[in-house]
Amino acid sequence: MTNTEPVENVVLELRRGVIVLAALSQLSVEQYGYSLLKKLSEQGLEVDQGTLYPLLRRLEAQGLLESVWKLEEARPRRYYVISAEGKKILPKLKKEWADIVSVMKKFLA
Amino acid sequence: MKLINRYVNEVGKHLPLIQGREDIEKELRSTLEDMLEERAQKAGRPADETMEIELLKAYGSPQKVAQTYNPHPYLVGPRVYPFFLMILKIVFFGIVIGLSVVTIIQLLSQLSTGVAFMSPDFMKTILQGAGKIISTGIAAFGYVVVAFVLIERLVPDLKFDFEEEKEWDPAALAKEPDANSVSRGELITEIVFTFVGLAILNFYQQILGMYFFSGEQSFFIPLFSDEFQKFIPWINLIFLAEIAVDIYLLRNAVWTTATRVAKIIIEGASLVLAVLIIRTPNILGVTAESLANSPFTPERAEQFFKIANVSFSITLIAVIITVSIELIKAVIGLVKSINSKQSK
Repeated sequence: MTNTEPVENVVLELRRGVIVLAALSQLSVEQYGYSLLKKLSEQGLEVDQGTLYPLLRRLEAQGLLESVWKLEEARPRRYYVISAEGKKILPKLKKEWADIVSVMKKFLA
Repeated sequence: MKLINRYVNEVGKHLPLIQGREDIEKELRSTLEDMLEERAQKAGRPADETMEIELLKAYGSPQKVAQTYNPHPYLVGPRVYPFFLMILKIVFFGIVIGLSVVTIIQLLSQLSTGVAFMSPDFMKTILQGAGKIISTGIAAFGYVVVAFVLIERLVPDLKFDFEEEKEWDPAALAKEPDANSVSRGELITEIVFTFVGLAILNFYQQILGMYFFSGEQSFFIPLFSDEFQKFIPWINLIFLAEIAVDIYLLRNAVWTTATRVAKIIIEGASLVLAVLIIRTPNILGVTAESLANSPFTPERAEQFFKIANVSFSITLIAVIITVSIELIKAVIGLVKSINSKQSK
């Protein structure tokens, strides 16, 4: 239905801006891709797997996450956790987010 | 798990080989197996092929999944595209000029072997030359594309800073040359070259010609005949006028109406002179008679004569075209400046 497409796209764009911060905030404890996906979903943020997994790799390439392969129950899993670099910038991102939220509150009041 | 494995393989085929295909495949397989297990738990029965199929269907086509892992799905991406265009221009320019020169040389040597100007053979060479330019151009385009595809693929996350961007200073825009300013560099170049031309024509004509040595004798054939000498005072006049106007312009580097008009007169006179010269026969000193004394055989002399004539004609035609363009530009410049003055 072409009518709802623009809306869906805008919603996606909105969510996409938030995912990095959401992921970083949840990765102070190490998780593997699928567990993170579920955790975010349980708490109300639906993220497409096609978005999350490449994102985790990208964040690792940028140095914000660290990853390690662990073998559990005969299944290898790649665990991600926030890196030292990531821990440094997380407070800045949080502040940035708080600023944006307060500004948007004014716009949308 | 069979289907999952095949699926992961299929995804892998679409992943770039160098950048972590194995790693991605491993992670993907692990994830899918987790998801399958979950489905089995929810359904209360062990995983079977139907469940696998449902899972994979929900996950998406292999190509789509592979694509999500590709951050730069371009042949020639936006980061390198400006460079790509710049290099293409340089390459094409070089090809056109280079092959044109080669074709012209071929034409000239054809003429020297007796092929008539604008004859079928002559035209054939021209067409072949044009064809070569086109085909070489296309091949070069392909090479440039291949080179840039490699750059795009193998240099994933470099940032290309187009150097100009750093140095570009908006203040330069504020100093935008107004239509009346003249580049001092151009002026100086013109003065120097005109001076040199003047000097050669008047004092150093010895270098304009050909020397031959045969045994102990040396022959000199001047490039220009006596006919040409009649034109020299006029050429001198034009050169001197050009130098004078340019020196005057150097002081302020700005056109005035007077200088514009002077330039137009000079260009016009140059045009007339060039046309007169080209229409004068026997302008060249390289004639059949003068060559008779040289070590050339009569046939070769004949060929040489023809080449010399044609080259000279071509040069003069080029000069006429260039001067005409300069003339038109000068006139347009004059008209524009008059208009803008009136509208002020």
